[in-house]
Amino acid sequence: MPPNAPYMVAAYIVTAAILVGYAIALARRSRRSRDS
Amino acid sequence: MTLGQSGRWLTGIGLLLLGGVYVRALAFTPVELHQGPAQKIFYVHVPAAWSAMLAMGLVGLASILFLLVRDVRYDRFAAASAEVGTVFACVMLTTGPLWAKPVWGTWWTWDARLTLTLMLFFIFIGYQLLRGAVTDPALRARYAAVVGICGLVLLPFIHLSVYLFRTLHPQPIVLKPSAPSAPPEMVATLLLSVGVFTLLYVGFVVQRYALGGAGRDA
Repeated sequence: MPPNAPYMVAAYIVTAAILVGYAIALARRSRRSRDS
Repeated sequence: MTLGQSGRWLTGIGLLLLGGVYVRALAFTPVELHQGPAQKIFYVHVPAAWSAMLAMGLVGLASILFLLVRDVRYDRFAAASAEVGTVFACVMLTTGPLWAKPVWGTWWTWDARLTLTLMLFFIFIGYQLLRGAVTDPALRARYAAVVGICGLVLLPFIHLSVYLFRTLHPQPIVLKPSAPSAPPEMVATLLLSVGVFTLLYVGFVVQRYALGGAGRDA
């Protein structure tokens, strides 16, 4: 693995985690607001 | 189909396309000679910055419209856009240092572009805190609109900071008067990623706007 590749991998993982995490949070909030 | 469902569909499609951006960026876009693989952080960092600035721009415009016509839908849209913009600002502020460490040798430096971008993040956070702190909806909308307009005023300074000040931050690759200063494969990957991040912004905002209409905190 090239020396700075771990930084790239970390950036891609962080980006996916934040965006997928927010999508899940929005879906859960939407379900809760429908239930209440 | 309800507004919330439309938002969920757009978000789902956006996340699938984000996977496509990753594949294209990692497997089908050349590695930059001097920076190596770390340069590919550019394909998530720049679109995240674009989305955060788009979000703040629309918060500001919606805030101006709210103050002019007092239609609560503009306030609801501004609240939705500010929350989504905070998410993209988080992506921008985590991927930036992950690129800077191997390329500049430091996680952070107080140069003009970075400092102004951090200010944008603080305006996003301040906007959310203000909305949470003021209970009267009419006052909350008015105060928040003022903060939103301050954010809008900051945007041109962020974009022009690399020209106005001596800065380490790279200059724009695409958003400039001359032709893009990168190979066509890199520009194509960047533009694809910008499109996908914009779609995700729209999907998130539509969902968040629908939540505001369901009687939750706006």
